[in-house]
Amino acid sequence: MKTYIKISLFFVVFIALAGILAALMMYNKKHPDMAKTKPDFIVTASVLQKAFEDDESAASKKYINKILEVTGKIASVKPSGNNVICISLVTGSDLSSVNCTFPAISDPSKFKPGDEIKLRGECSGLLMDVLLNNCAAIVNPK
Amino acid sequence: MKRLSVLFFLLTIAFAVNAQKYMTKNGYIGFFSHTPMEDIKGDNNQVAGILDISTGDMVFQALIKSFHFDRALMEEHFNENYMESDKFPKSSFKGKITNLSSVNFSKNGTYDVIVEGDLTIRDATNKVSTKGTIEVVTGGINANAKFNIVPEDYKINIPGVVREKINKNLEVTVTMKYAPLEKK
Repeated sequence: MKTYIKISLFFVVFIALAGILAALMMYNKKHPDMAKTKPDFIVTASVLQKAFEDDESAASKKYINKILEVTGKIASVKPSGNNVICISLVTGSDLSSVNCTFPAISDPSKFKPGDEIKLRGECSGLLMDVLLNNCAAIVNPK
Repeated sequence: MKRLSVLFFLLTIAFAVNAQKYMTKNGYIGFFSHTPMEDIKGDNNQVAGILDISTGDMVFQALIKSFHFDRALMEEHFNENYMESDKFPKSSFKGKITNLSSVNFSKNGTYDVIVEGDLTIRDATNKVSTKGTIEVVTGGINANAKFNIVPEDYKINIPGVVREKINKNLEVTVTMKYAPLEKK
């Protein structure tokens, strides 16, 4: 009997600890490392902007909340907020670009207007530009 | 059509006369809540805004999904539970500088202003009045303001279980760096 109780207690404590650990891991979960995350779609900036321009509703359903890998030419690089860089990409439209925020870039000076860039980020949707959040530049794509 | 209406909303005061309109697509809005239990901070660096220096009209729009939180779970809860961003994807402000005459847009400097207008979050709109500053710099205009909002005023329902983790007032910080709106 006593052994049975001891084993049961052990399992209850083990499950409780596992539950607490899982909750802590969820609570402290970081954003996905874009360099290691497989993108849902691979597009050029022009194709992405045109998709939203032609049919915003369909493009929203397809791309919002998805991880996009986007290639394009840098139109501008602007610092904003704390350690945040906003890079906008050239598209076929004068009014609308693809606007990407990078929460942390170690060396923002390596990104210059006119350079080609490949990046991954989460699509937030369309305002005046197509907006990508939590972006990272892909140097050695996996 | 929706994109046209966004552009129309933002450009209703644009293209009227000549170089009186200033614009940004990377304005900053952040909100902050401090309690002994937890600090919560959300940052949005993709706010689109237009300032008309001839009338003092100021409008901006922000995508809720563009708010970034350090903790991924917090960002999920913010979008799915509190803001329901699939249902209410945008927040907007439409207002004006009420003491426009106290700003000299031809002279670099910092000017104290009062901004009043309608702030819409989810499907609730409330009047907001706040002090702020307009900083005239070479080639642009910077606008800054800080004010508080009460989440319940915007139908943001915070469950009783976590209510103590979020301050009754959220501190909102707005930083816009405008450049002249160029006609193409």
